[in-house]
Amino acid sequence: MTTTVTIHIDGVPYAVPDGMNLVDAARIYAGVEIPIFCYHPKMKPVGMCRMCLVDLGFEVRDRATGELALNPDGTPQVRWGRKLETGCTTTVRAGMYVRTRTEQVQEARRDVLEFLLSSHPLDCPVCDKGGECPLQNLTMRHGPGTSRMAYDDKLHLDKHVPLGDLIYLDRERCIQCARCVRFQDEVVGDDVLAFHERGRRLQIITTSTPGFDTYFSGNTTDICPVGALTTADFRFGARPWELTNVPSISPHGPVGENIALSMRLDRDSGGVQVIKRVIPRQNEDVNEIWISDKTRFGHHFTLSPDRLREALARKRGELTPVALDDALKAAAKALKEAGNSVGFIGGPMTSNEDFFALRELAAHVGSRKLGLWPATLGDAAPAAEVGIASGSRLTELGKGDAVLVVASDLEEEAPIWFLQAKQAADRGAALIVANLRETKLDRYASRTVRYGLGGAVGFLDGAASDETLAQAANLVVFVGNEGLGADEHGVLLRAAANLLITTGHAGRRNNGLIPVWPGANTQGGFDLGFESAATRAMLQSAPDVLIVVGADVAETPAGAAALDAAKFVIALSLFPDATTAKADVVLPIQSFAERDGTFTNAMRRVQRFYTAQGPVGESLPAWQVIGLLGQRLGMDRPRRSAALVMKALAESVKLYAGMSYPALAEAAVQTPPIGISPGFYGGTAAAPTGGTGLQWPSKAESRAKLSVTPVEAPQAVHAGAGELVIVPLRRLYDRAPEFFASAVMHGRIPQPFVALHPSDAARLGAVDGGRVKLSAGGASLDVTAVVDATAPEGLALLPQRLAPGAFPQEPVAGRVEPVAEAVAAD
Amino acid sequence: MNVIRGFATTLKYLFQQPATIQYPDEERPPRERYKGRHALKRYDNGLEKCIGCSLCAAACPADAIWVEAAENTDEERYSPGERYAKTYEINMLRCIFCGYCEDACPTEAIVLEHEHRLSFTNRRDAIYTKAELLDPPPAGLEGTPRQTEPGVYTRSIPEMKNPA
Repeated sequence: MTTTVTIHIDGVPYAVPDGMNLVDAARIYAGVEIPIFCYHPKMKPVGMCRMCLVDLGFEVRDRATGELALNPDGTPQVRWGRKLETGCTTTVRAGMYVRTRTEQVQEARRDVLEFLLSSHPLDCPVCDKGGECPLQNLTMRHGPGTSRMAYDDKLHLDKHVPLGDLIYLDRERCIQCARCVRFQDEVVGDDVLAFHERGRRLQIITTSTPGFDTYFSGNTTDICPVGALTTADFRFGARPWELTNVPSISPHGPVGENIALSMRLDRDSGGVQVIKRVIPRQNEDVNEIWISDKTRFGHHFTLSPDRLREALARKRGELTPVALDDALKAAAKALKEAGNSVGFIGGPMTSNEDFFALRELAAHVGSRKLGLWPATLGDAAPAAEVGIASGSRLTELGKGDAVLVVASDLEEEAPIWFLQAKQAADRGAALIVANLRETKLDRYASRTVRYGLGGAVGFLDGAASDETLAQAANLVVFVGNEGLGADEHGVLLRAAANLLITTGHAGRRNNGLIPVWPGANTQGGFDLGFESAATRAMLQSAPDVLIVVGADVAETPAGAAALDAAKFVIALSLFPDATTAKADVVLPIQSFAERDGTFTNAMRRVQRFYTAQGPVGESLPAWQVIGLLGQRLGMDRPRRSAALVMKALAESVKLYAGMSYPALAEAAVQTPPIGISPGFYGGTAAAPTGGTGLQWPSKAESRAKLSVTPVEAPQAVHAGAGELVIVPLRRLYDRAPEFFASAVMHGRIPQPFVALHPSDAARLGAVDGGRVKLSAGGASLDVTAVVDATAPEGLALLPQRLAPGAFPQEPVAGRVEPVAEAVAAD
Repeated sequence: MNVIRGFATTLKYLFQQPATIQYPDEERPPRERYKGRHALKRYDNGLEKCIGCSLCAAACPADAIWVEAAENTDEERYSPGERYAKTYEINMLRCIFCGYCEDACPTEAIVLEHEHRLSFTNRRDAIYTKAELLDPPPAGLEGTPRQTEPGVYTRSIPEMKNPA
């Protein structure tokens, strides 16, 4: 525990933690705002902008006796500094006196602002930051009332410099605070921005090709204290005061990033509310104030013209638009005939309410076939036992702690955890990265472990004897499923649980297992009794009727076969895809932006998202569609609102007891408060309105007795002669319709490719950049070969959802053959 | 006696010019500061003054103005700066002709002119669009959008005068 010291700010004593940053201490404990531009609580102070100058003094002590020297009136004598000092580079200590309102301090602030404004254009009316701009705000509060500058003397620089596809730099507006440069360097580790030149010619440049090559570039526009960095997506989209921020949760990935959707009416969209931009919403337990570019720019699918707008039913072999009632009637008829031979498969964006509705329908028809998509996952029991303890914060991990990442490329699968693992390593935590190939996190690892195909379980099983892990004060284990079959993934999760139990880390705060699931609500699906294993069983022997919710089952050959084998397929989907093409009834559902709901992230935090825009076409929330279907089968009418579904859910699912919508809407106090409404630190992160969510406790936390279950690695896939093992990878930027609808991202999404080791490529005759045909399990893909020395020998690394066509999602032995390039006829 | 004086007054006015104006056959010029219908102004070179900043909409106490902005390119240029108003609408049924929009405008693009004959037969017609509000280009000059030489218009806001 840190000790508390007393400091005086403007003559008032305050008790603050020793060693805290003075700016933070003044803001949080005294409510005194020391103005800042360059300082940001998430980064190291640099003292570049000089805006935080304060008058510092210390009480005087007698050297001989150590007694406080007193004035004649009995107050302690204070020796004030001869000059002002920067508050952001000062840490508080006992006996400190601070004056923030003297004439000298105010003059210093005025002068700093006047100097900053001497080169800053008066763009405010057209600037995207105007209205939420720290420079504007602080100038109004502390700046000079009039300018001594002639407009003609202002320095004119380039105004429209693209730093990559997504971010524009306005060189005139930059005040050289280096927040963006420091963010990329300190927080992300992608050192792609830099200062170039000196003095008045100083400018931000990008040092990467393609420009600003990082998954986090949008965050720099949030923290930029002026409008120097703006996104290509939101450029001139709206003025900040016209936007309504609706709290929401990212539908991409397992982190459950808290976001706010900035809504405004839009003439081009027919005068309805549309998402103009996505900004982070502060939640120190989840994503702090950062979001990935996928979350920020991947919202366009909600209003994509490709969205399903009406119900479809098969008539004479053709899917034709029909009234919703007719589609439901056809579906209900098929369900009645099928009896209990009904299977349910929920996809990655399916909310808890939808899963619950499916579960009720399943109970009504007497089916227990509750499946989760993708079908390649182990089970969630280990995570329920020793999952990361409630209230844990990855931001608190540091010296003496250990983070173990197994079989996951965190940057691609869960970018925010990549940031947090990287920063934990920076603070001194031991970071061990084990995978069958090189990943970006290796750069920051204190140790990397490389195992062969099928070696993950063996490594993790023996990890308990590792001293770094066994003696770590806190241990967090990330387990992904890269290069693992479904069985192996289950065993690996169990091995991770064994490790945590053996080393005694289970059940303690800041300790535990984090499964890197593929979807935003995969955890919620597991919690409500949906299993990936059940999906695999359904793929083996298809039930008569298959109800698929938001899952592209046809993206694997086995899934496509099961859809063919089922007598009747009911698909609830956002987009027409390979699955809806095989369905007999297609029902349009609403995306996360159009409805209320909850997602459970992979740290078991149940978080609410709110209705932001109107429905697309005739789409309804999936729970309502399922409820209407149930009504035709004799169930009660569907509930009137998502809140009532959640209420019923909380009553019937023990883990979610007490998680009503009002409870989930409660926001925990965030320290330091960075969100917009306090507004002090500058930047466009929203305050945590709308709730910070609730975590359900793992079994280990209730001091339940946990036992180690011995594990055995299943047989790994072997490639026959002339074959390679094709290992599917999850990549952040893919061509799934939920992301590809964002046209602004197209330049960043790679062409379909497969990575091959040079020796394999040479053996197969594949050249870098040439076309190859992958074939395995009856499916084939045509992709570009990338010869990559970091790819393990004998494996072909295939990023999923880039090439059109079905392909297995588990490692599989297959052939890689170069395709003769057709010579283009002139 | 009083009766005669009264009739004398009547008789006097019988031979004087009446104060009443026969509107609409006859019109009196409005006062210089009369606030009538808005006009979106152009520069002398024909480019639009409006930069789509939406400050008029923010200042409007009646919420009558709707602005949506977009970016200029040299191929398709509306205003000298980076940004122009893609949509500009004023609902004349809501407008109270207070002139706050004129005060808020940083480029003096919106001006309440003297036009006061506003009539419509349905509510939708009361919404004046940009095409109706925008002044025609000066005689002999091309309107907007137009193609311009690259490198001429590089400021985000056109030239501004130093305050007097």
